[in-house]
This record gives sequence, structure tokens and C-alpha cells, in this order.
Amino acid sequence: MKNKKVRLIDRINQQKFLLLLLLPALLWYLLFRYIPMMGNFLALTNFGSSIHIKFVGLKNFIRLFQSLDFYRAFNNTLILSFANIVFYFPLPIILAILMNELYHVKMKRLVQFIVYIPYFFSWVVVGSIFITMLSPTSGIINKIIEFFGGKSIYFMVSTFWFRPILIISYIWRQVGYGTVIYIATISTIDPELYDAAKVDGANHFQRVLHVTLPCIKSTIATMLLLNLSHVLLIFDQIIVMQNAAVYAVSDVLRTYSYREGLENMNIAYGIAVGLLTSLATAILVLSTNKASKKFLDESVF
Amino acid sequence: MKKINNKIKNSFGRKVFVVFNGILLFCICLVFIVPLWNVLITSVAKDQDVLGNVYLIVPKSFSLKQYSRILQSGYFKSFVRSIIIATIGTMFSMTITLPAGYTLAQKNLVGRNLFMNLIIITMIFDVGLVPFYVVVRMYGLINTYFALVIPVGLSTFNLILIKNFISSIPDSLIESARIDGANELIILIKIIIPVSIPIIAAITLFYFIQYWNRYIEVVMFIHDNTKTTLQVLLRTLMFESESATTGAESVYDNFKMAIMVMGMLPVLVLYPFIQRYFISGIMLGSIKG
Repeated sequence: MKNKKVRLIDRINQQKFLLLLLLPALLWYLLFRYIPMMGNFLALTNFGSSIHIKFVGLKNFIRLFQSLDFYRAFNNTLILSFANIVFYFPLPIILAILMNELYHVKMKRLVQFIVYIPYFFSWVVVGSIFITMLSPTSGIINKIIEFFGGKSIYFMVSTFWFRPILIISYIWRQVGYGTVIYIATISTIDPELYDAAKVDGANHFQRVLHVTLPCIKSTIATMLLLNLSHVLLIFDQIIVMQNAAVYAVSDVLRTYSYREGLENMNIAYGIAVGLLTSLATAILVLSTNKASKKFLDESVF
Repeated sequence: MKKINNKIKNSFGRKVFVVFNGILLFCICLVFIVPLWNVLITSVAKDQDVLGNVYLIVPKSFSLKQYSRILQSGYFKSFVRSIIIATIGTMFSMTITLPAGYTLAQKNLVGRNLFMNLIIITMIFDVGLVPFYVVVRMYGLINTYFALVIPVGLSTFNLILIKNFISSIPDSLIESARIDGANELIILIKIIIPVSIPIIAAITLFYFIQYWNRYIEVVMFIHDNTKTTLQVLLRTLMFESESATTGAESVYDNFKMAIMVMGMLPVLVLYPFIQRYFISGIMLGSIKG
């Protein structure tokens, strides 16, 4: 036992310069990740709503479960997450397969180059582009509607249209990212597999179904996991694009936590909402990771 | 054998698919290009051409007036400020990420698993914005430029990318330098950095763009409009004037679009470089840790 301890100290001593190089990063994690994590305990106090901080137990959580706004945010988060998985998730796979069918390598590169651009724009820029296109007075979309004899629609304040707009703008910005990753995976597939399938008489479609898809299935699992790890955390896009007129359909857990905690300064209550969101996300990520390990022999963490 | 191949290749259904696929992908490209093109040409249009007109694909006039207006306005100051913050921030981020990535890549590091777990926990359990704000306020960083750099200075994702890349460098290279008595910092600078240029360049670009695009942290930490970044001012210009349709003094579309072009500028300039690194597939192997 003592021997082991000595050896540990020896090893630390031996690697002290190496550890020194890691120190700034560790310090950063402590200051900006672990101490804020401890800050979550403030959810059990009345911090923010009163000058005298005192322990209030689960009061914030009880208030939360009785609040209609919380259920609204919870509901919106689930709807948007679900829509994200259904409408967004398959698109990069389909797009990558279609792009892979292009004969000219240069064309393939060009398409890839183009669809990938928006991923690097901020949500503010992407939101601004959408707001311009959807503007009731000068937007392209409304000009087209008017051209066909329709009436112009004020999309950004419409409770009916706002969710589809969120999904479409999400797709517009993100689809290139997934596509590039799938294309990179597809390009690593051994061409002999396709030749073998050809010899067996498989047509193009069958080759996609029986060669391409099985070969990229672990990437699909990884991407699904990455996707699930942030669906509940959806925030940046919404905080940029939403306005008071569409809170009812777009307020999600994190925007609710942000508004309560930092705009209305009910800090402890905001933390309680955020904490539940983080816990739900952690459970979701860990369980999908476990499932992916079990069924696909593949895990991200 | 060859005959059958040709038959499949040239079958009617296949031809239809190829044509259809080409058209579809062309249309998809248009969906990405037209909005950007529209922003660009509107930003250089004269006032009379953008007033309630359909201004879509064909430019009707060319004038750099909006840009010269921006040069004299607070928007340009915030543009310069954003560039400076992103540059300093990127340097700060690289100086803590690169050494940490190097250390974590050492297979015999003391407590390597412990460190990796501590880092991965932060990816699984999201800290939450409100506690993050409370802590940054407690450190006294609110309304200082430090708040735009230090609290957001490290990205776990980037750290893991660098660590994975350095892990793939042959150990013999490092070991022989250690035997020669070189210290770790020298090894990092003289041996690791020269062979890691592609990943370092890629991560530098990612960090720069992350700083450039940052929005919510700036809103949270900076409450003074003379210290804020271009993205925040762009958001106010586009969204707040939009929601207050009545009464507010209207700004012409060409001015708004010119600000938007400023907001995209660094990304457009850096994009060809970023794209190259992605295509070479650096990301792919690394995503899986």
C-alpha cells in the first residue's frame, strides 16, 4: 500500500511538467464548469428573489410543477425535439447518398461546398436571412404568395407558422454538416463491396440499401446520439428568433429558464428549471449510449 | 460480364434517375445560394430600388453608399471590436487547449482516466445558463471584455479533437526527444506543433468563428452597448425593428443587408480554408472520440 503511494508520488513528480501543461485547462473546468455545477444547489434557496438568502427546500420545484408556463415549455421542447428527429435527422443521410450518385467528382465537391456554408453562420445571421425572406412587406416568399393571388402572411408572429419556420431554418443551417460527415464515411467504403454486389446482380438501389446503409450505420448511430444529446437543450436558435407573440408555441425549457432566471431575476427558480433540463438530457444521453453499445457495439462516451 | 454492366448503367430507369438527381441537387443548391445572393445584391442597391420592390436575383443598381454609412457608424466600431475579441479569444483558447490536448494524449499519464472522465462529464451534464451567469458575476467579470473570452475560452469538443490527433502521432518521435532530455514544452513546440499544423489550423478557425458568432453570452455578460459585438447589434436591428413595425423609424433593407454582410464577412473569407479541413475527414474519426 505504502509502496503504491510512493510510486504514485514518484510518477507525479516525473510527469510534473506534463501535468503543468494541463493545469490551465483543469483550472478552467473547475472555475467555469464545476463551480457553476455546484451553483445548481442554489435551486434549493430563494436566491435572487430576496436579499436574505435562505434555504427553502424543494419549494422552487413544487412551484415549477404547478406552473402552466413550465408545462408549456416542456411541451414545446418535446414537440420541437420530436420534429427535429423526424424531419431533420434523415435528411443528411438522403442528401449524402444522392450526392454520392453524382458522376463528376468536381460537381460533388461543389454541391458539398455550397450546402455546408450556412453551418458557419451564427443564428443571428441565419435568423436575419429568414426574417428578410419572410418579411410581410418585402420578403420573397410573400411576393410569391401575392403573385399567385394570395394574401401576404406575417410569418414571424404567426403561432401557426413559427414552428415550421424553426424547423426549416434549422435544416437550412445544419443539413450540410451532417451531409459532409456521411459523405466522408461513404467515401471510406471499400469499392470491392459494390463490385461484389454488382456481380450478384444488385441494381443501384439495392446496392445503396445493402451496401451503403449497413456500412454507415455506426455513423448514423453516432449522429443520432449527438442529436439526442442536444435536442432538449435547444436554445440559441430560439432565443434569437422568438418574440413575445410566439412564446406560446416556441418557449422551450432553456428559454423559459433564461427568462425567469435572468430577465425576471428569479434566479433560484430559473436554476431549478435548468437543472431539470440538464438531468433529463443526461439521462437521455446515457441511455441512448447504452442502447447503442448494446445493439450496435458502438458508443460515443 | 461487361455487357451486363453496361446494360445496368445505361438502363432507362437509371438515366431518368441521373437526370432527376442532377436537377434536384441543383435546386437544393439554389435554396442555399439565392438567399445569400439576395442579401449581397440588396446591400449594394440604391435606396429607390429596394423600397417595397421585388429585389431578388438580378441587381438593378450598384452603390457602396450603405457601406460608407456603416464605416462612420457604431456598427463599424462593433465590427472591429468583434474582430479583436475573436482574435485575442482564439489565441487564449489555443494556449490552453493545445498543451492540455498534448498532455491528455500521453498514454501513461498519471490520472489520465480521471481527467478524461471529468471532462466528459461536462459534455453529458449541461451546466445551465443561470448558474453560469451567477458564477461569472461572482468573479466580477460582468461588463468586462474578459467575460467574452475567459468563461467561454475552452471547447471540450475542440480539446478532444486535438487530443485524438496528437494520440495518433507515433510515440517513438516523442520518446526519443525525452531521452535526449528535452522538456515537455520544448517537445510540444518543436516536435508536436510542426506535425500537427492541419489540426491546429482547423481548430484555430473553429475557435475564431465560435467567438465571432457568439450571441447569448454577450447579451448575458455585457450590458453596455458601447462594448457589445456586431452580432448583438445585428440582432437588435433585424428583430427589434421588425417586431415594432409601427412608429419606429424604418431602416431601409439595403442598410440592414449591408450590416448582415458584415456579420457574415469573416465566415465567408475563412470558409474555403475550413472546408478543406473538413473534406480531408479530420472530423470524422474524431467525433467518435
